[in-house]
Amino acid sequence: MPYLLIAPALIYLAMFFAYPMFQGLMLAIFDDDAALVLVDEPSLDGQEVERLTQGTRLNILGRQGNLLTDDSEGTELLTEQWFLVVGESAGGAEVSGWAPEARVRIRDEAADGTPLGGTIRPRLGAGSDEATPLLAEPNETSETVAELEQRAPVTIEEIAVLEVWFQVQASEDSSKVAGWAPSRFVEVFDDEETGRVDEGSVGEFTTGFITKMFNDSFFSDAWQTTLLLMLLILPLQFVLAMLMALVIDARLKLGSGFLYIFTLPMGMSDLAVGILFFSIFTGNGLLNSVLEAIGILDGPKTFLSADTIPWIIFAIVLAELWRATSIVMVIIVSGLQAIPRETLEAAELFGAGYWQRVRHIMLPLLLPSIQVALILRTILAFQVFAVVIALSGGDIVTVLANETYRQYFEFRNNNVASAYALFILLLSMASAFFYLRAVRAQTEVANT
Amino acid sequence: MSEIRIESVNKSFGDKLAVNDANLTIHEQEFLVLVGPSGCGKTTLLRAIAGLGMADSGRITIGGRDVTYLPPRQRNISMVFQSYAIFPHMTVRDNIGFGLKMNGEDSKEIDRRVNDAAELLHIEELLDRRPAAMSGGQRQRVAVARALAMQAEVLLMDEPLSNLDALLRLEMRAELKKLLAEVNATTVYVTHDQIEALSMGDRVAVMKDGIIQQVADPTTVYDRPANRFVGSFIGNPPMNFVDGVLDRSSGGPVAVKVGEVTLSPDAEVDSAVRDINGDRVVVGIRAENMEALAEAKDGAFAVDVSVVEPLGSQNLLTMDVAGHRMKISTHPSFPVEAGQRLWIRFPGDKIRWVDPNTEAMIYE
Amino acid sequence: MTDSSTSISPSSLPPLDSPEVVDLHRKMKRRNLRGRLFTYASAILIALWILVPIFFVFSMAFTTEDTVRSYPKNFLPFIPFSTETMTFFLQSEGVLESLLNSIIVAVVTLVLSTIIAVPAGYAVARYLFPGRDLFRLAVLAVRAFPIVVLSIPLAVLFLRAGLFDSVWSLALMHTALAMPTTILVVSSVFASVPYELEEAGQVFGATPLQSFRYIVTPLVLPGIAASGLFTFVLSWNEVFAASVLTLENRTLPALVLTSLANSPDAFQFAGGFFLMVPSIIFMFFIRKYLFNMWGQVSK
Repeated sequence: MPYLLIAPALIYLAMFFAYPMFQGLMLAIFDDDAALVLVDEPSLDGQEVERLTQGTRLNILGRQGNLLTDDSEGTELLTEQWFLVVGESAGGAEVSGWAPEARVRIRDEAADGTPLGGTIRPRLGAGSDEATPLLAEPNETSETVAELEQRAPVTIEEIAVLEVWFQVQASEDSSKVAGWAPSRFVEVFDDEETGRVDEGSVGEFTTGFITKMFNDSFFSDAWQTTLLLMLLILPLQFVLAMLMALVIDARLKLGSGFLYIFTLPMGMSDLAVGILFFSIFTGNGLLNSVLEAIGILDGPKTFLSADTIPWIIFAIVLAELWRATSIVMVIIVSGLQAIPRETLEAAELFGAGYWQRVRHIMLPLLLPSIQVALILRTILAFQVFAVVIALSGGDIVTVLANETYRQYFEFRNNNVASAYALFILLLSMASAFFYLRAVRAQTEVANT
Repeated sequence: MSEIRIESVNKSFGDKLAVNDANLTIHEQEFLVLVGPSGCGKTTLLRAIAGLGMADSGRITIGGRDVTYLPPRQRNISMVFQSYAIFPHMTVRDNIGFGLKMNGEDSKEIDRRVNDAAELLHIEELLDRRPAAMSGGQRQRVAVARALAMQAEVLLMDEPLSNLDALLRLEMRAELKKLLAEVNATTVYVTHDQIEALSMGDRVAVMKDGIIQQVADPTTVYDRPANRFVGSFIGNPPMNFVDGVLDRSSGGPVAVKVGEVTLSPDAEVDSAVRDINGDRVVVGIRAENMEALAEAKDGAFAVDVSVVEPLGSQNLLTMDVAGHRMKISTHPSFPVEAGQRLWIRFPGDKIRWVDPNTEAMIYE
Repeated sequence: MTDSSTSISPSSLPPLDSPEVVDLHRKMKRRNLRGRLFTYASAILIALWILVPIFFVFSMAFTTEDTVRSYPKNFLPFIPFSTETMTFFLQSEGVLESLLNSIIVAVVTLVLSTIIAVPAGYAVARYLFPGRDLFRLAVLAVRAFPIVVLSIPLAVLFLRAGLFDSVWSLALMHTALAMPTTILVVSSVFASVPYELEEAGQVFGATPLQSFRYIVTPLVLPGIAASGLFTFVLSWNEVFAASVLTLENRTLPALVLTSLANSPDAFQFAGGFFLMVPSIIFMFFIRKYLFNMWGQVSK
């Protein structure tokens, strides 16, 4: 029975969580089209003879049309249409067979453009008086079943779309064998004899994306800023949260009113908070108005520009402090309420003043709560995003989460975006482990 | 130097007056027990002495110092809490030494006193352990050790034995009494268990509804309770009370009729009883103070025994006297069974007389 | 420890009602209040720190556009009061649609996550089955998971499934995010209702279902409602996934974010206001349950 009840949740989480997570991992370390597979014959059943990486220069050795069995809508495909035509041979008999579109001039079309009939095109140049062979199957290597003179009228009974296959060889690496590959993966240069591998057909594990991420011009800025923010925000936040928690714990009159106010920021979107602090720090914002009114400033000071990065950092720290301290406070208050009242009274009676009680009794007993809050808060801190964008447009100052977004949107690079996301995940997990260890060690030390 | 004086102390919680004009002097090095039913204000009063819930009005002095509104740590007191309040994250050693550390004693002195206290409570081998794995009894010892290590002038104890199981409680009671006799502190001990109160205190203060009913040594409180409440609260089984009617008609000593039975107050109390307002009086007598006789004798009256409870050391008989149910305790060798008729005599000096208008007991 | 000013030999204690005693007591009481006063002052300071910015946004959201652009800003709020900024915002392109989208996404998330999470929470609270702890651990792990990491692959997934850029796909993702918290809260809510109550109902003739419906439901409804509100606000506020997963059908946060660079201040203030209002209302109802939700974090 219980399994029935948790089943939907499990399935849902597997689908929309476990699976995407796995996919995300794959995106970061697996390149879907890393290499092009060359086969021994121009058919989908061919055996692999060689793999070439993307970008390899090629010599085009041959070409062939193959029935397009794949319905994919690749507009890059080099395709040929073949027609099953019916016409009168030179001898007057009705013959039918397959001929490439290059040999047929369309004269009749249906309303939707489907060719219905035409004539055999004359050849130009050498061999211009040769008859056009009709083949048994829409394949150049198929046997000839009939012939038609040029200009012979034909009706078209069937149309087959072929994809052209090329026989290629790496032009700069003689160790690589030649093989066949479909045209969609090959880019042919104007001379029609050379080209390059445009796309891979098969995926490979690669650290390429991760390397690309590390070498990304924005990476070191994002990484350093994220770390800096973390180091600034976390300690300040915990001190503030502790103070707020102590205030709440003191059970003042109107205590629940204070509690409501203290936890207000908890429900707010980080974007709203970003806008809020932007409006404070902006040129004609609240801060400047206040400072000028008090007389500290003579005119508005620009806080949020490329020249005043420290101020931007300051604004971000303030915004995060404002927004996210409440969660930590709530966790600490829960921990505080779990401490029996008599324990604190005993401490007071035996000589501990208020701050001594905080240091010797409350803090040690709060370590589990602090540990939980630290883990949660750090993981959330790695995802700081909207606040940074609101305050700096994402360009002057950037963080890791922002880079994920940028890679996805601006550079359209899912893989590097996933690499960033993976990096964030690893950092989060590492800090979680660190806290679990560190706080446990602290508990040992505190009690010796 | 450590006399505690409580003068006209009041303390309310919202509408409820928890301690009502308490006046009490606890002599130096005296062991005083505050006893009463739950909600009577004894803990509130103790906490006022401690400074954990300060009085609304009145004055509390310790050794001549006015401590009424001083924070606890400035009062030179030590306390054992009902829940023990041991610090769970510290070793026993650090627990015991906590107060000394807060006071800035040097570590040698702390070590010495911690070891001494641990020895007194026989918990030396627990010193480096954590409280989490300890039994209630062990934790209680740690709490007492912590309090004793302070060597304060005043020791307060808030129901330290009530969380122990019955057997352990009995053991600890004796041990604690012996231990505290050697300690020189003025001790105020709160309990709801009147047996504990009688067995441990030099003096007992009985409280009810925030008011101190009587303060006296155990024997007096037991034998000459100040009012009906004290009489019924102290002692197990509680003192029996029956309603009587005063008969002043004869010119001589006053007579009291309880149903068919006529009693005469002893000479000392005769005039006091006569002075009672109205015709009613309440007669009290303890179960073990009545005489049970197998046959009719002078001054005895007949009762039917309805229930016999053999308690091992005594038999507790329930009987009906003039419409009141009373309990009498007899020696196990006295043969009796339910339904049997017995003759009961109330010895004059054991009868207690209650003025129904004031509930106070009359002694002269 | 001896305070000489209060030390008097026992025999010469002044009477209770004498002025020196009265005076002394008054002084001592005042000294004790000092700490309390300090705490009140801190509380008020912190409250101001939180309230002033909110107030500012509110007042800017309800004034004329000129005032919004003006400098220096007035301290007197809501002067002049006007719905200009508001109307400008609401009439801006895409705003009403995005508001609607936000509502739809939040409601769908709310409904979906409740339907799935409530049975799971009940199962965790009432049944002791093998794998229970594993399940709870998994749920906790999911909850701590970075949303950033999840958004990209989900975007790719939805793209391939043809669900991209739809409120439904965003709702699906938000549900995945909200579910762990809901499961945990719901299970603690059910755990707080002793099973004996259900049994008692059955003893008195109710079927298990009736017992559940009439006895348990009213008791758990407030807690479940609270977690539902929490889910709603979570979805309403969420900005990263919304920006990644929607293009034409943006939700409000996504819209505001992407137009941040180009939008005038007034737009931002009003946008910020709309983003904040549900949270403020929601926090009012939820503050009792806060500790239930986040306190449960400490296993």
